[in-house]
Amino acid sequence: MQHANSQVAQVNPVRWTIRDVIFLALIGVFFGIIYQLWSYVYYALAATPLKPYANDMTIGVWIMAGPLAGVLLRKVGASVIGELLAAAVEMMLFSSWGAADLISGFIQGIGNELGFAATGYKNWDKLGLLMSTIGATIVTFAWDWFQSGYKAYTPTMNITLLIIRFVSIGFFSGVLVYWIRQLVAKTGLLK
Amino acid sequence: MTQTADTPRGLNAATLTLIMIGIGFPLTFAQSVWLNTIVAGLGLLYLIALRVSWRKVSLILLIALPLAFGSWISFWFFGTVDRWHLAWMYGSRVYAYLLLGMIVTMTVSTQRWLVSLHLHFHLPNAFVFGLLGALNMADRVRHEFRRIQYSALMRGENLRLWNPLLYLRIVLVSLNWSNDLAEAMTSQGFTENAPRTELIADPMPAWQWGLAGGLIVIYCAAAFGLRPW
Repeated sequence: MQHANSQVAQVNPVRWTIRDVIFLALIGVFFGIIYQLWSYVYYALAATPLKPYANDMTIGVWIMAGPLAGVLLRKVGASVIGELLAAAVEMMLFSSWGAADLISGFIQGIGNELGFAATGYKNWDKLGLLMSTIGATIVTFAWDWFQSGYKAYTPTMNITLLIIRFVSIGFFSGVLVYWIRQLVAKTGLLK
Repeated sequence: MTQTADTPRGLNAATLTLIMIGIGFPLTFAQSVWLNTIVAGLGLLYLIALRVSWRKVSLILLIALPLAFGSWISFWFFGTVDRWHLAWMYGSRVYAYLLLGMIVTMTVSTQRWLVSLHLHFHLPNAFVFGLLGALNMADRVRHEFRRIQYSALMRGENLRLWNPLLYLRIVLVSLNWSNDLAEAMTSQGFTENAPRTELIADPMPAWQWGLAGGLIVIYCAAAFGLRPW
C-alpha cells in the first residue's frame, strides 16, 4: 500500500505514466464486468418501444469511468482518457460494438471533461462533479439528438428524457463518484 | 529481427480502425436506410471473405436483433414525422454500427490492434503496454470481482452495483495491481518515453490509406450529397 500511496498523491497534471494507464485500464476491466451486469437490465428494456428511456436511465452507469478517473487522478484529460480506455477495454473484451464504443466513449468523456475544465481543473469536489454532470448531460443529449434520433420524438418526451438523463448521470457519475472519492480519501491514498 | 503479432489477415488494423471511426462518425448524422444497409452489407462481406466463424457472426447479429427492433418500434410509437423512414433508418443504423465494429473486433487481435495504432497513429507506448498489461489480467479481474462480492457476503453485506464500497475495493485493487505491474514492467526494461526497438512488423501499404480515405469520402459524399432514402 505504501507504493500505491505515492501514485495518486503524486499529481502531475499532464504526463501519463504507465502506472496511470494500467490503473485506469484495470478499473476499465472491472467496469466491463459491471456493465455486463447492467446490460441485462438495459437489454430487457431496450428491446421494447421504451428503448430511449432505457438509454437515459442507464447512461450514468456507462459514463462513470470518466469522472471517476478525473477525481482520482486529477489530471487534465483524465475524464476523456479514462472513458476512452474503458471503451477500448469494453471493445476488445466484452462487446462487438467497436465504433460505437470508442466514439460514444469519446463523446461522454468530453462532456465530463468540459465540466471539470469549467472549474479551471481546480475543483474535483462537489462543484466539479456538478459541472461534469451538467457537461455530460448536455453533450451526450446533443449526441443522441442525432445518433439515436431524439430529434424525431415529441418535445414533451425529450424533456422527460433530458430530466431522466440528468438524474441518472447526477447519481451514478456525480453522487456515487463523490462517495467513492470520499471513501478513497479516508484510506489516506488521496492526499 | 521482426515478428508478427499473429498471422495478419485482411486489411491492416489501423486501416480498419480509420474506416470504422471515419464512417461511424458521419453515420450518426446521415439519414439513409440504403447507406446503412450498404455499410452493414459490405462489413458482412468483408467478414465472410476473411472466413470469420459464421456461427459467431450470426450469434452476434441475432443478439443485436432485439436492440434494432427496440429502435425500430420506438420510432414507430413515439416518432413525430415520417415514422416509416425513421423506424427503418434507426433500426438499420444499429446494424451498420455493429458491423463497422465487427470488422475490427472480429478480425484483429488486441495486440495487433494496439501495436498498429502505435506504429501508424503514434499511440504512446505507455498506452500500448499499459492496456495490454491490464487486458491480460482480465481473468484475474473477473476472479477478484467475485472474491470482493463473496467476502462482503461473509460479513453480511450485499455489495450492489450502486454501493460505493464495491467501487472502493475496485479502486484499491486496481491501485495495487497497477503499481505491481508497472514496477514489474519497469524492472523488465520498460522505460517511459524512451524509444524502443519495434519487434513487431505491421506493414501498412499506401493503398490502404487510399482505400480508407476513399471509402470515407465516398460515404460522406453519398450521405450528405446524394442523400438516398
